[in-house]
Amino acid sequence: MKRIMTRSLILWFVTFAFLAGTIYLGVITVIHHNKWVQQPFNGHMASAADLGNAGKITDRNKTVLAHSEDGKRYYADDSATREALLHVVGDESLNISTGIQSRYRTSLSGYNFVVGAGLPESLRPNSDISLTVDANSCRAAYEALGSHKGACVVYNYKTGEVLCDVSTPSYDPADPPTITEDNESEYDGVYLDNVVSSTFTPGSTFKIITAAAAIENIPDIYSQSFTCNGSIDMDGNPITCESAHGNQSFSQAFANSCNCAFAQIAVQVGEEKMKATAEKLGFNNDSYMMSEIPVATSHYDATGAGNNALAWSGIGQYTDLANPMLMAMIASSVANGGTAASPYIVNDDGNLINKLNITINKNKDVNMLSSDTASKVKELMRGSADGYSARGVSIAGLPFCAKTGTAEVGHDKEATAWFVGFIDDPNHPYAFAAVVTEGGYGIQAATPVVNAAVSALVS
Amino acid sequence: MNLQSVLDVSVIALRALLPIYAIIIIYQCFASARRHRRPEKPLVMFELLQTGQQIPVLFWENSIGRSKGSDIRVSDISVSRDHCVFLRRKEGWFVSDIGSKFGTFVNGEPARGRTQVNINDVIDIGHTSLVLRRGEEYQERIRPSWFFSKASDKGSLKPYKLMILITFFHLFMAVEACFSNEVQNFIPLYVFGAMALIMWTFFCISSYALNRVNFELEALACFMSGMGVLLLVRQEVRSSIVQLVAMSIGMIVFAVIVKFIEDPDRVTKWRLWIMIGAVGLLAINLVFGRVTNGAANWISIGGISVQPSEFVKIAFIFVGASALDQLQTKRNFIEFIIFSAVCVGALALMGDFGTALIFFMTFLLIAFMRSGDFKTVILALAAAVLAVFVVLSVKPYVADRFSAWGHVWEHTQDSGGYQQVRVMTYMASGGLIGVGTGNGYLKYIFASESDLVFGLIAEELGLIIAFSLAFAIIALAFYSRAITTRSRSSFYAISACCAAGLMVIQSALNIFGITDILPLTGVTLPFLSAGGSSMISCWGLLAFIKAADERTYAAKRRIPKNALRERGVDR
Repeated sequence: MKRIMTRSLILWFVTFAFLAGTIYLGVITVIHHNKWVQQPFNGHMASAADLGNAGKITDRNKTVLAHSEDGKRYYADDSATREALLHVVGDESLNISTGIQSRYRTSLSGYNFVVGAGLPESLRPNSDISLTVDANSCRAAYEALGSHKGACVVYNYKTGEVLCDVSTPSYDPADPPTITEDNESEYDGVYLDNVVSSTFTPGSTFKIITAAAAIENIPDIYSQSFTCNGSIDMDGNPITCESAHGNQSFSQAFANSCNCAFAQIAVQVGEEKMKATAEKLGFNNDSYMMSEIPVATSHYDATGAGNNALAWSGIGQYTDLANPMLMAMIASSVANGGTAASPYIVNDDGNLINKLNITINKNKDVNMLSSDTASKVKELMRGSADGYSARGVSIAGLPFCAKTGTAEVGHDKEATAWFVGFIDDPNHPYAFAAVVTEGGYGIQAATPVVNAAVSALVS
Repeated sequence: MNLQSVLDVSVIALRALLPIYAIIIIYQCFASARRHRRPEKPLVMFELLQTGQQIPVLFWENSIGRSKGSDIRVSDISVSRDHCVFLRRKEGWFVSDIGSKFGTFVNGEPARGRTQVNINDVIDIGHTSLVLRRGEEYQERIRPSWFFSKASDKGSLKPYKLMILITFFHLFMAVEACFSNEVQNFIPLYVFGAMALIMWTFFCISSYALNRVNFELEALACFMSGMGVLLLVRQEVRSSIVQLVAMSIGMIVFAVIVKFIEDPDRVTKWRLWIMIGAVGLLAINLVFGRVTNGAANWISIGGISVQPSEFVKIAFIFVGASALDQLQTKRNFIEFIIFSAVCVGALALMGDFGTALIFFMTFLLIAFMRSGDFKTVILALAAAVLAVFVVLSVKPYVADRFSAWGHVWEHTQDSGGYQQVRVMTYMASGGLIGVGTGNGYLKYIFASESDLVFGLIAEELGLIIAFSLAFAIIALAFYSRAITTRSRSSFYAISACCAAGLMVIQSALNIFGITDILPLTGVTLPFLSAGGSSMISCWGLLAFIKAADERTYAAKRRIPKNALRERGVDR
């Protein structure tokens, strides 16, 4: 019997394994309950009908962006605000998956982990969500973008609050269009929030990354001089500038946005180190989030493609793809001495229910550059901004550091215009990125969008 | 406040209290099971004639021999490693030689088969003589298992009070189901009424006709079975009634098995017939089996569908366990291995992979508890052969599910993850306290009442109750292991541990299968899943645990209450 009793301890072994599994199941249930609940097939959350009793969504100034009354969902009063905030707020359908009404539908409809989804209507607690965005700024940027497809993001590089998040094309959530074969070109990509979910060819804005790579990897970069004759031959294929920039220093080449110089610099840095720097700055990284909304992965890789490709990649062409939110984060890291604030859009002055459900966020801030490199890149961007100012660009009259971009996309299409940078003012610590497809020159098409957004914030 | 909100508040209050109530019930079941029984004293003892050394006899069955693991160890070269077994039966103490080299002698006469030994009789093994003495003469105290509470601890709930608690829990569930979101009527209350009647009848028969003093295991089973029945009411009234009938049959099977194995030697006599019966059942299944959901594990008799493999589980435990003197024989062990191979093989042929795996793992459990030294080799070989059977059966049937394992969220609309993601979604939707009996959505998913029942419980009754039930199964296993220290025979020790082990394994496969932690589905959750055969077999398995508790058969001598108190004995 003694022997059997000892051997019967095997039952403990089996039982402990079961116990461990049960505890594991409990833990993952607690961690993932939100994701598990927010499924389109969940009968407790039957799509449109359930928003009829959902909570309010407000912006940072308590402007109501969406609310429910008598089982119906209502949005902001004027149509421009509704359209400007479509991608942030979302509509009744789940088509805009990054919208608050899709992402946090369960919270809005009163679900919480303690009482589940079964609370009677009369007892449903306040489930409002307050956002960090400024509706006026969004509307201004939306109007400035006009009929172009594009995006504009402005966020506070000290705190991470997203103030402006606008994506075009858009539509009125109060009157969503029926998209058919006839009008689908008009609504191409309308369900994507271009700020977080899209990537574009970065063009000259990528020179920020190439410059950072040069500063960190080429010790004598500031003593080198670059001669530009308007064109340079790179392994049998010319890279051109608009005009000949003549003899320039590294800083002057950046201010001139000289393609010939930066093509050579990229080759000098080398494909491995270019890629390493780009990845430190968030390219090829799929882990970034705005609150709980994933940021699309930006792409950079010119390894093994030869010097010509490397040169093109260094000036933001080749296969480079950049996401506007990431570009604003890079600007944030330059402004902050190397550390990019992690962006968030859901405010933490929300109520208890939302505290239970939403990781209010602070995703971890991202260290992208050494403080030395950051301050040097900042000087470069200040230099280029001075040039823009001389040509009449103003961002709400505030001091700023920035870089424009004009990305060639081929197919006889007009270039994609970019504007990336930040306001260098402790009272207005805004990092921004705007992209306007088929907009032409960055300085003409993209700067007015940022100006509109920031001006609305400042006033 | 209008009437509606008063109603709403009370519904929510009730829902929030149910989990606490469930925890109290489960706690009380085990608090009662942990009660300390007779003082831990040796039954009898041996005195070594040559040295005068005293050896206590602690168990009802003891191995005597030279090896380290022997209960009574004799260091004498002329004694075999496993020499004989000294065991207690109704008629007194016996010694049984288990193939020793030089034989066993009682008062000088060679012992053939079981030979009775009386106090002061001398057992001669090798050069050693053991004299049987009364246990009272031995002084040292023996430490009881940690599981049991101290005699001084607060008394536990009386069985009838426990039953009242459980009946009220079921009543609350039924009332909630009456006012479910979709259908409002009083059918749940009728079902509850019938169920309460069955449970109380069972309780009365157990305590007054069969004179059983303790009822905690039955109470726990009633609690869980009843919960399963009431979850079914709002899904399909007919199947909840089937479940109720199966529960009654299960209770009868339970009582019959407890009675049947009262004498562990009776099992030895019937062992062959049980094996033949079980193999016959499987053979009938193989020939006449209906293919349902990829596995041909059902047969239909006169319009009633049964799953023979569920009943074979009981036979499996019967065949696997044996009294200590039988256990040591090679024949007994080889019979068990062959029987296991036939069972697992038959199940693999049917395509019932889940049950085959349960059998295989239970086989390993039993084999480990039985075998010591040389048998391990045979065991490993047998295990390998059985594993091949299992793997073969995996291939065609479960491949789909295996490929989706670990990333079911990419398979929300195909069979690879359809059920799993819905279980997880609705588990989380229920929250800690649940959406209320009958208000769930998981019930519309196929097999929600059987395979997916853990998700259904979590959704409708909340995560707290669902996890408490899992912990109840865990506690049942610890209890089963703890009572083996006092078991009257190795038959009980092995059968109780393995019956509990089987339930734990089955629960693990069920709960982890539907939540994507393990890559398979298709087994039931003990007592809670819908399915008559499964319900009956769970009650049958519970009988083995019940039988291993020494109080089950010892309680018949009724002693006046105050006499008990004076003697400091606690029932």
